[in-house]
Amino acid sequence: MSTGLKTSNDLNSEKVTTPSENSYVKTLKGFFEEVTLLTKFTGRFFREVIRPPYEVSEFLKQSYLIGYKSLPLIAITGFIMGLVLTIQSRPTLAQFGAESWLPAMVAVSIIREIGPVITALIFAGKVGSGIGAELASMKVTEQIDAMEVSGINPFKYLVVTRIMSATLMLPILVIIGDVISLYGAYIGVNLKGDVSFDLFFVKIFEKLVFTDVFPAFIKTFFFGFVVALLGCYKGYNSSKGTEGVAEAANSSVVYASLMIFILDMVAVQVTSLFT
Amino acid sequence: MKKETGNKIKLGIFVSAGFALLIIGIYFIGERQQLFSRTFHVSGIFKNISGLQIGNNVRFSGINVGIIDGIEQMTDTTVKVDMLIEEDTRKFIKKNAKAIIGSDGLMGNKIVSITPGTPGQEQLSDNDIIATEQPVTMDDILIKLKVTGDNAATITNDLAVVMTNIREGKGTIGKLLMDTTMANEVDQAVVNIKQGAGGFKQNMKAASHNVLLRGFFKKKTDKKE
Repeated sequence: MSTGLKTSNDLNSEKVTTPSENSYVKTLKGFFEEVTLLTKFTGRFFREVIRPPYEVSEFLKQSYLIGYKSLPLIAITGFIMGLVLTIQSRPTLAQFGAESWLPAMVAVSIIREIGPVITALIFAGKVGSGIGAELASMKVTEQIDAMEVSGINPFKYLVVTRIMSATLMLPILVIIGDVISLYGAYIGVNLKGDVSFDLFFVKIFEKLVFTDVFPAFIKTFFFGFVVALLGCYKGYNSSKGTEGVAEAANSSVVYASLMIFILDMVAVQVTSLFT
Repeated sequence: MKKETGNKIKLGIFVSAGFALLIIGIYFIGERQQLFSRTFHVSGIFKNISGLQIGNNVRFSGINVGIIDGIEQMTDTTVKVDMLIEEDTRKFIKKNAKAIIGSDGLMGNKIVSITPGTPGQEQLSDNDIIATEQPVTMDDILIKLKVTGDNAATITNDLAVVMTNIREGKGTIGKLLMDTTMANEVDQAVVNIKQGAGGFKQNMKAASHNVLLRGFFKKKTDKKE
């Protein structure tokens, strides 16, 4: 059963190269080919995601693996992030005699920007590479072909479930990560000061507004989506044996990280239009 | 199968915790923005709002009781500021209360402070317009500082001229402090007074032995005894 999708290798084999083509043109062509294939891959995801049957069991399994299993890593990094950010910010604020602003400043930084982006980058490192490597190894060992033969839609079973899980789990990880970060900030504030938990809590919510929380929360869905999408794309279209597995895992993380920053920049610009 | 059920339970706890934290966060932010409490509207007309923004706090007796809900330019010189204030505070704010734009510390946000008004007055109604006082802007303070500085400069210049004159021995105080001739003359005058007093004493002694005046001096001595 054919998936109807051409891999980058298929296109490369069809491509006629002339000696006059320099390496820049080749790179540019390769880039646009990748963009086309990725767009087709994304389009196929949206077609498959609405079409029954739904792989609910696999979706729940992936959500557990992608979401719950990433929690310890996100929690530890979140805690350290809040603690370090507070410790590093204190001397600058102390110079202005504005140490009482420390909780609010750290809270706004974590919730608006640092929490979502750092969590998404760690998520890309753990989940994106995992998906890329897993699907690539399934591809090179022809497990995906075997699924097609046995009548299972591998795209729906492997790709749709993973992308949906990552899209929905990352926002939850970010929320929990933000809260743990704020707890780290509370510890950081109290290392050289004496701020009660109640006062810290009041100071945080004194400066936070919905325009801080919602754009930051909404962009995490996009971060989760691109991390899993690129992981699945790279893994699903890999070749070249074990070398292809390593390349898929590596490029998944690299492109996902880059896309997170690009999406974040776009999100900031879009948010600034409405605030 | 058992493991799968356990994993589903863990996933359920994880997702529920995430949603619960999100809802708690939304509740506390919403509460600060008066979304979940009963409120009433009050407006004030200002000439200059000094950078006041929607969402800034409204304070009454130093307590945050509301937020700025809207800012609207009415004419070229007037700005209408709508405030959303907690219903519980309404009974303390009288009709003649005043709204003043201030600042939350030196570097803090702008705030609106409401003074309570006089007791016995009626309490505010919904959508009332309350009296305002123009805020003291940083520009006003700088202008006053400049005037004070200019005055200080004039005073110190005059003082410098006076001190120079004194040092040069000009004028009464200058002569008194700096001219040695005057001091010598004063010394000589004191010497003369001393000499005059000695001569006068001798004259009086001679007069007491005089026949004409002896009786008078004797009477005086008797009276003393």
